[in-house]
Amino acid sequence: MENAIEVKELTKYFGSLVAVDHISFGVKSGEIFGLLGPNGAGKTTSIRMICGMLRPTSGTAVVSGFDVAQKPTEVKRRIGLVPDISNLFSELSARVNLEFMGKLYGLDRKTRRRRIDEVLQLFQLKERENDLVRFYSKGMHRRLTIAAALLHQPDILIMDEPTSGLDAQTARLVREIIVNLNKDGRTILLTTHQIDEADRIAQRVGIIDHGHLIALNTPEQLKNTTEGMRALEIKILDGVDQEKWTPIIKEAEGVEQVFLAEGKMRILSKDLPQIIPEVVNLVDKHGGKIENIAVAQPTLEDAFINLTGKTIREEPLSKEDDVRRRMTRSRLR
Amino acid sequence: MNPATSLLHSVWIAENDLRQSFKSVRHVVWSLLFPIFLMFTFSFRPDPSGGVDVEYIKNILIPGIVGMTAMFGSINETMSIVWDKSLGVFDRVLAAPVSSTSIILGKTIAGAVMGVISALVLLTIGNALFAVAFANIGAVLLIVLLASLSFTGIGTIISGLASEPREAMMLSNLLRFPMMFLGGVFFQIDAMPNPLPYIARAMPLTYATDALRNSGNMTIVFVDAVVLLAYTVGTILFGSQILMKIMTR
Repeated sequence: MENAIEVKELTKYFGSLVAVDHISFGVKSGEIFGLLGPNGAGKTTSIRMICGMLRPTSGTAVVSGFDVAQKPTEVKRRIGLVPDISNLFSELSARVNLEFMGKLYGLDRKTRRRRIDEVLQLFQLKERENDLVRFYSKGMHRRLTIAAALLHQPDILIMDEPTSGLDAQTARLVREIIVNLNKDGRTILLTTHQIDEADRIAQRVGIIDHGHLIALNTPEQLKNTTEGMRALEIKILDGVDQEKWTPIIKEAEGVEQVFLAEGKMRILSKDLPQIIPEVVNLVDKHGGKIENIAVAQPTLEDAFINLTGKTIREEPLSKEDDVRRRMTRSRLR
Repeated sequence: MNPATSLLHSVWIAENDLRQSFKSVRHVVWSLLFPIFLMFTFSFRPDPSGGVDVEYIKNILIPGIVGMTAMFGSINETMSIVWDKSLGVFDRVLAAPVSSTSIILGKTIAGAVMGVISALVLLTIGNALFAVAFANIGAVLLIVLLASLSFTGIGTIISGLASEPREAMMLSNLLRFPMMFLGGVFFQIDAMPNPLPYIARAMPLTYATDALRNSGNMTIVFVDAVVLLAYTVGTILFGSQILMKIMTR
């Protein structure tokens, strides 16, 4: 089947700063494709190039057979974009916001009315349709942003960090919406910095870091890239001080990676039988008491760490990455 | 995209912009209070006999204030581009299948309409309070429209150059306040010491106030209209170029 989105060697420089560096991938028709990477990795820049909002320095993006550099309007017609922030007109009501979007996408008055009613109903916003958007909750904002992207019934939905900044319950609801939209036959390209989100809803995941696409596969296959690596989880009594324990545990021979995950120290190694007694000894020697120890299934996070050498969540941005991120953001606005 | 669709897009963008501006009653009231206060403040100027200088109010002050209000209305409205950019709502229009020309044209229409409406409100108030009668209302409307368009062009230039709203405010004040005091709103240009009249003649507001004061003299109106038209074309072309660069990075 032809790919809905085909990206080849896509590159974007902002001055001398490279935000996206020769990335290539294809999004199959009808799949959920997740672009996973930390903040500042180049996800938003990639998406803006695919949507025709930013001109690539080099490389191409083809959406539904249209090259975005040559036919940006055709591409925009076929895409529904859900940006990372809810960028609705806050001084206008939901209905007026949707009216405006419907007009820009060329829906005639009758179709516009019908579609607005449909999406408001679908996202349970009908009762509040005449309220100003600034009085909406975060979850309602997000729902309306998705509704606005669906108004013209695009086959492809591009979502930038769809659940970022939402509480757990709303995030779950949004994920459900995404899965259902996909079941209806829509192709979905989403970006996320949440590994479990990519794992749960994406059928294929591309891992992006420092503007490079470093891996692309199904979540299952990506987990297998840990190649014989296995994970050990230990819970140390009285909380886990990551800064203290990481260097201590790393002393054990055969330990490849150590990081904190859900309150436990997670240790990756190719030789668990050898490291278990050593790790236990080391913890004991430094005055720690192990509350729980277990061998765990490899996760996508293990794969991510194995590929990038760092965790996606806890590590603060390096100075260089922070500058990259801020420069990119300011150029995008 | 065919021209009719492009034009329709512009009209919708303008309508959406104006709808937001008029939605907030407070916003409209505050923006009109500023010229009204200035009008009252300067109307206290006494004439040589010590009474209220009605001739000054009718012939100098009110036409000047009308021109100035067009300037504030247009530039404020056009600067919504900077707010839109900072809030991300500009992306909404950028992501839609709408040409860059439609976006710029839409913003221009909104700016010009806001300038004309604000100026007409002040004109009506001036007329009601001080019985100002313009010699040729057609000429007045033409000048108000041309002035609003040229100020819209200035607004697009500011919006293109400023990276965030605070910078846009500072830039716009840098241009608006000297224009307000040197553009013949409160004082006549000929009464200014050198080299201020030369600086004043480089400003579009000067031609707007001059024409509004002399709306009965078609020669003056014609010359001022031509200058304002040149300003309009120049500023809109330059502003569009900057905005186009931002939109097609």
